[in-house]
Amino acid sequence: MTEALLQVDDLRVSFDSEDGVVHAVDGISYAVDTGKTLGIVGESGSGKSVSSLTTLGLTRGPRAKIEGRMMFNGRDLLTLPDEDLRKVRGDDIAMIFQDPLSALHPFYKVGVQLIEAMQSHRSISKSAAHTRAAEMLELVGIPDPKRRVDQYPHEFSGGMRQRAMIAMALSNEPKLLIADEPTTALDVTVQAQILALLQDLQDRLGMAIIIITHDLGVVAEIADDIAVMYAGRIVERGTTEEIFHSPQHPYTWGLLSSIPRLDNPRDEELVPISGRPPSLINRPSGCHFHPRCPYARDAHKRVDPPLEAVNGGTHLAACLLEGTVRTRIWDGIRTGRDLESLKRLAATSAQPVVEGDAATAPESEGTQPEPGEGSLVESEQPAREHSTETPFMGPEEMP
Amino acid sequence: MRTYRKAIVGAIVAVLALGVAACGSSSNSSSSKSSGGGSTSNSAGASSVPLKAGENPVGQTLYGKKKGGTLTVYSSEDFEHLDPGESYFELDYAVMYATQRPLFTYPPNSNDTLVPDLATEMPTTSNGGITDGGKTVTVHIQPNVKFSAPVSRVVTSKDVAFAIERGANPNVANPYMEYFASVKGASSAKGGPWSGISTPNNTTIVFHLNAPQAQLIIGALSLPLSAPVPQEFAGPMDKHAPTTYGTQAEVATGPYMIESNPKTGVFAGLGYQTGKSLTLVRNPNWDPSTYTSAFKPPAYLDRINVDIGGDPSVIGPQVLKGSDSVQLDTPANSVVKLAYDSYPSQITFTPGSGDHYVALDNAHGLFTNVNVRRAVWANLDRAAIIKERGGTLTGEPATHFIYPGNQGFAQAGGLAGPQVPWNKDVNGSLSVAEQYMKAAGYKTGKYTGNQTVQIVGANNGNDPAIIQILNSDMTALGIKTHVSEVDQSVMYSKYCGVPKQNIDACPTVGWIRDFADPLTTLYETFYGPAIVPTNNSNWGQVNDPQINAAMVQAENTVDPTAAAQAWANVDKMLVNDAVAIPEDFDNQANIESGDVVGSDDLWDTGSWDFMFTSLKNP
Amino acid sequence: MARYIVRRILWGILLLVLVSALTFLIFDVFPSANPAQLRAGRNASPAIIHHITVELGLNHSLPVQFWDYMKGIFLHFNFGYSYYSQQSVLSLIVNRLPATLSLTVGAVVLWVLAGIPVGIISAIKRGSFLDRAAMGVALTFVSMPVFWLALILLYFFASDIGKFPILPGANTYVGLTSDPGKWFTSLILPWLVLAATQAAIYSRLLRGNLLEVMGEDYIRTARAKGLPERRVIWRHGVRSAITPVVTVLGLDIGGLLGGAVLTETVFEIHGIGLLNYDAILHSDFPIVQGTTLLAAMFIIVANIVVDIGYAYLDPRVKYS
Repeated sequence: MTEALLQVDDLRVSFDSEDGVVHAVDGISYAVDTGKTLGIVGESGSGKSVSSLTTLGLTRGPRAKIEGRMMFNGRDLLTLPDEDLRKVRGDDIAMIFQDPLSALHPFYKVGVQLIEAMQSHRSISKSAAHTRAAEMLELVGIPDPKRRVDQYPHEFSGGMRQRAMIAMALSNEPKLLIADEPTTALDVTVQAQILALLQDLQDRLGMAIIIITHDLGVVAEIADDIAVMYAGRIVERGTTEEIFHSPQHPYTWGLLSSIPRLDNPRDEELVPISGRPPSLINRPSGCHFHPRCPYARDAHKRVDPPLEAVNGGTHLAACLLEGTVRTRIWDGIRTGRDLESLKRLAATSAQPVVEGDAATAPESEGTQPEPGEGSLVESEQPAREHSTETPFMGPEEMP
Repeated sequence: MRTYRKAIVGAIVAVLALGVAACGSSSNSSSSKSSGGGSTSNSAGASSVPLKAGENPVGQTLYGKKKGGTLTVYSSEDFEHLDPGESYFELDYAVMYATQRPLFTYPPNSNDTLVPDLATEMPTTSNGGITDGGKTVTVHIQPNVKFSAPVSRVVTSKDVAFAIERGANPNVANPYMEYFASVKGASSAKGGPWSGISTPNNTTIVFHLNAPQAQLIIGALSLPLSAPVPQEFAGPMDKHAPTTYGTQAEVATGPYMIESNPKTGVFAGLGYQTGKSLTLVRNPNWDPSTYTSAFKPPAYLDRINVDIGGDPSVIGPQVLKGSDSVQLDTPANSVVKLAYDSYPSQITFTPGSGDHYVALDNAHGLFTNVNVRRAVWANLDRAAIIKERGGTLTGEPATHFIYPGNQGFAQAGGLAGPQVPWNKDVNGSLSVAEQYMKAAGYKTGKYTGNQTVQIVGANNGNDPAIIQILNSDMTALGIKTHVSEVDQSVMYSKYCGVPKQNIDACPTVGWIRDFADPLTTLYETFYGPAIVPTNNSNWGQVNDPQINAAMVQAENTVDPTAAAQAWANVDKMLVNDAVAIPEDFDNQANIESGDVVGSDDLWDTGSWDFMFTSLKNP
Repeated sequence: MARYIVRRILWGILLLVLVSALTFLIFDVFPSANPAQLRAGRNASPAIIHHITVELGLNHSLPVQFWDYMKGIFLHFNFGYSYYSQQSVLSLIVNRLPATLSLTVGAVVLWVLAGIPVGIISAIKRGSFLDRAAMGVALTFVSMPVFWLALILLYFFASDIGKFPILPGANTYVGLTSDPGKWFTSLILPWLVLAATQAAIYSRLLRGNLLEVMGEDYIRTARAKGLPERRVIWRHGVRSAITPVVTVLGLDIGGLLGGAVLTETVFEIHGIGLLNYDAILHSDFPIVQGTTLLAAMFIIVANIVVDIGYAYLDPRVKYS
């Protein structure tokens, strides 16, 4: 097995605060290979952003406690001295952020900010950097780049700003690009353009991408692997196909259900996950998700589920429900069964769980209507529609 | 009258009471011991008020001191008018008398005995200076006095005549022209010659009067207005409204002159910068031999630099700890205390620096009743007021209206004053007061009517506390009051000085005489016909025909001793009528550096006399 | 931009006219002594007071007086004459301005040099002993009355009256042109007094701004780009945090040029503030009017300069 570009092992990040210790990231492991895309999905406060900021050393501080290993190109980023880590930032590992307006300095021209990024890692003349900045803008699909390079961020539209951010991030040809909610602040059509751009650039430049989002729909098309985070932990991890085809964790189900589906014939409301993300200071006992889990049993309040392989493969999940029960519930969700019956399903399956329920599961579900192609295909539908767009400007971006 | 600096004294030195109260008893006892003394007219009041911390101004050394050096003079206040025709303020006088020579003057250690300055002798009936039963005054002047550059010619009596006559020019607007009202032609003068002033030769000037007011005229001729002014120089400047003589340029006759351009006489921007500085230098044309033996200014100092502006609490320590400097205006209360405690030889307290009283409206309202006025007087705690004003170092309890240092002070009873039941107890006596309330028709001894008394006072310094003392002493008699506190200038110009405002009581008014003639203390303030609709100084609108007549009679008394007695009688009548309530006779604090041998002008509220002040190490 | 500036200047002039009108009104409405009477002396006869009233034009109605005043300014650039000294108000102001200018410039340099680094260090070392100490001192200075601080400094350090006589004290100011060395030393204490409070205010302001800015997304971006921390703080953090400080600085300078009354009084520096103070004491209306206009003008000019400067500092701001 070749070594991954970034290999994270048992990463733990906690911060001292006035109210107590915040366990932002609590023992997560993942890996990204060159040319591959990892999606990290979770609500705000799930620790997804902290884990990626930690990659860049941006969570270091007197109040932060960081443990684990984070191997990148043979070096542990967590133990790297500040100055060495700074050299990695923006060079081998680049990052783009959610709100492209606030992420660019309002007082400096876009080109200047790109040049600054280049010059802090390369000895390159200002004029050469300026030329390259324009090239980068062109690369990310900004028209008239020679003029645009000397404009200020506020003269760019939202989508163009994010393109500029991407250009800046890619200006030093990073091996890994971390995109933290890169499309959240943008409207739907522009979102798709940006995602398509990222994919296109990855194809051309071959870097690895970690894309962080609260929206599974965003990563559906471009991610190879997906890690779902909840309360500082990865609760499910697998290939994109696994996550969309046979999601194992009730939280993942919730996330999948909250993806807007353009093809949905009925006026069906999105099903958000009820309740609020837990406090990272006083986390719920047992399975951290139990207070919001419709299928939780009493025992789940006491037992902390480990992240375990599903069917012995690379697909991992941390759920105390039996695998068969999970499969049946997911099938029920897909076919639109109401929540009460699903809860009953989880509860009635409780007894035989101890012995294993592989035999009973298909029996009870067999009468259900044909599930069709599966939610993966359906959920991909909107993304695919947008992705037909080539990375050119939308009409709203015309100057 | 010059209430200006005095009022500020009252305001600023007041807090001193707290710090210096302990010393008060000793000076109290010594003052009561000597009260009633001073029977001679010479410095009668002053010598009986021993208030010195350092050198007593009365006993100060005037002659034989070291010559030379530069004196630095600090003054947080600016000068007002440097034209001898307009100047009317203690600080201005310090400059005026050092640079200008009026006909007569007071030596620094006297406040009631005039001596010749520009004149060659004091006019008397015996030397022919006063003739025609007091209706003609003849003055001879020194023949060899010269104006400073650029005029640089010998002063003649015509220059004196012009100086006085221009006082009536509206562009000059001398503020005390009424003293010259008896001079023929004065009342209709607008700046041109007066029929009552003649100059038979270059060294003689004769004043022809409508009334036998020779003493008053002689007194008034000690004011800066009588200092000669060259018409060829000042005349064109007087055409400006107001005149530019004294603001732009000026010539001097005294030992010093405001530093000026010798070709033009212009001092503005050179020797005087408004609000910034004033510089006195020696007048090269001055001849020390042009004086009589009674008054020979030694002019020790080479140069006097007046530094205008700054904070009194900084200036004071600069003077006390520094060298070769004095403070011209009133020291801050903290500085007086500092000086008294740590630099006792560097502070003086000059007696006879004015008085304060409660003006009561004699013409309207409750205080038209003489017995109510007596009752309020009897109950007023003057000791408390003095404590507020700064304690016994800066004030003596007042019992009557002619204050120390004025002619007639001794005849009027000295510090004890005329003996009446209502002026006896400095702490106030409710029982005496109630007797007079009963006499006024209030059977219980307390006021039972419905009138409310309007009290208006200044809000500066400790004046509000003094207002409160009067207020509580009045309410103790059942009198209902309404108190207003306003800025001092507003108090005078909008309330107490406007009769139709009907202000019943003004407890923070004060008075400084112009010269030793008691007229300058009593006329403007208590003479009925002197009441004017605005800018009035007879704040209580006192208009008693008998008192008016007595004042006219005193004014027309030619013999000085008889005049003093006549004014003392007026004073007794004022006390008897309780036309106002005297609060205190003021003493002025002045500070100097340790190496300055300062000379206080007793007659000018203790202001430093630059002609007599010297340095120990010039 | 030029049109914008012209428009602002025209508005400024209109504003100055309004300020004058307001000053006229205030002097008319609030009880103050009659200037003619003060001019004449307290004992002057009503006839003389009337004469002076006419000479000073005080007999006219308020609008007429105002109209005459405005005519004098616009037609002859004549700001009137002092009631007291008869000197031209303009010449008095011109005479006093260098002192106020000296006081202001030095104090500004001092407080900028002190306040800005302290603010930055405090923000960077937030919560450290250094930060707490600096902010404690700043709070003390902010709450200290200028007048009091001035007296304390004089009582301690003035060469004439101080316990540790090391610096020239009150009344030592000389013009820059007459003796630069004395000019400088005489202004050290006044500069310290003026600068102390302001440095404290600026350090607190900058600290607050910088703390806020350092939490901005673009700072995170700058760090993510791998910029050295020093560059992140200065080029990205301070650059943003200082912009509002520059605005305040402009207005403060404008205000100070109108005269620092307390400091000028205590140190006896004959500047605009002391001129104004004396004039108020004397009800010398033309000078008060002149200094008020001057102060208003400085503030208006400072406003315009600040706004124009802002357009350069913050490219998002555009005027037309």
